[in-house]
Amino acid sequence: MVKKKEYKEWPPYAPGTYVRESDIREKKITYTWWEPEVQYSWSLGPAMSKFLQGLKAGKIYGIHCKRCKRVIVPPRMFCEYCFGPTEEWVELKDTGIIETFSISYLDPDARRIEEPILVGVISIDGASPQHGFMHYFGEMTKDDIKIGMKVKAVWKPENEREGSITDIIYFKPLNGGED
Amino acid sequence: MGSLEKQTDPTSPMHWRGDMQADYFYPSGVAGDKFFKHMMRSDTFLASKCTICNKVYCPPRLYCEDCFEEIPDNNWKEVPPIGAVRLFTVAKLNAHGKKLANPKIIALIDIDGTDSAMLGIIASNDINKDITGVKVKAVFKPKDKREGTIKDILYFEEI
Repeated sequence: MVKKKEYKEWPPYAPGTYVRESDIREKKITYTWWEPEVQYSWSLGPAMSKFLQGLKAGKIYGIHCKRCKRVIVPPRMFCEYCFGPTEEWVELKDTGIIETFSISYLDPDARRIEEPILVGVISIDGASPQHGFMHYFGEMTKDDIKIGMKVKAVWKPENEREGSITDIIYFKPLNGGED
Repeated sequence: MGSLEKQTDPTSPMHWRGDMQADYFYPSGVAGDKFFKHMMRSDTFLASKCTICNKVYCPPRLYCEDCFEEIPDNNWKEVPPIGAVRLFTVAKLNAHGKKLANPKIIALIDIDGTDSAMLGIIASNDINKDITGVKVKAVFKPKDKREGTIKDILYFEEI
């Protein structure tokens, strides 16, 4: 049997020349830095377009599957359960409950931060149970947040909305988070 | 309503546009660092010579690629930035596939006094001429504008 090697330090010491951030900043070493232009255009399709245009107008749209009798949000053009076409648009409330959450001490660039970011999945009221999307939570601390908490969307001012999921800034506790 | 509804307005589906950040950082390494810093100060190249098989590398290497022997610091030497074209190609399109107004000649140049070759741009307007074997010399940027990259060599010109 191969004996597992135990390291005293991690990452293990390896001979070589290390490059530090200061070496780059102070131009102590020579290097090549290149920023490629990588632009993309993602076609959203009819369902997602309607959903985002709804957000611009301050509304959350779901879509109804007649056969499975469920309201799907974010909307899809077909039902993933029965593969049938979804038919009827439903206007949902901008409230919901916290389904899952995460307390993140890393920012989107993976840098360590003092004040954690709260993110999670919200089941939207009016949609079928456990149907919703992911978003930020605000006006609460990492000690307040709990699964099943009632939350409400905080919208950007109408003139700043651009048809993006960030037209909702975050979800805040509703009635102190009690049912 | 819903998916049974026929789409009649081609502008109604939205597009999400974005810019992916994928920065590319490539340090020159120990040998490359010496080579580029030398090139920032003087108009010559630096080469390293293997102690066992006498192969000369330019740009220099810390280890011989043939016999894996480490090359000591005292076996480095300066070489003039002169060489002979081994082979060449004419680029009529740029990196994005757009047509170039002035086609570029890109050549592999055997550096004199070494066993290695370097890629370089040849300054010439005649793209139909066969320049294989022609002696060329590197033209550098002004010393105060050099940044320690391969772009410090502007082009190679015929001697």
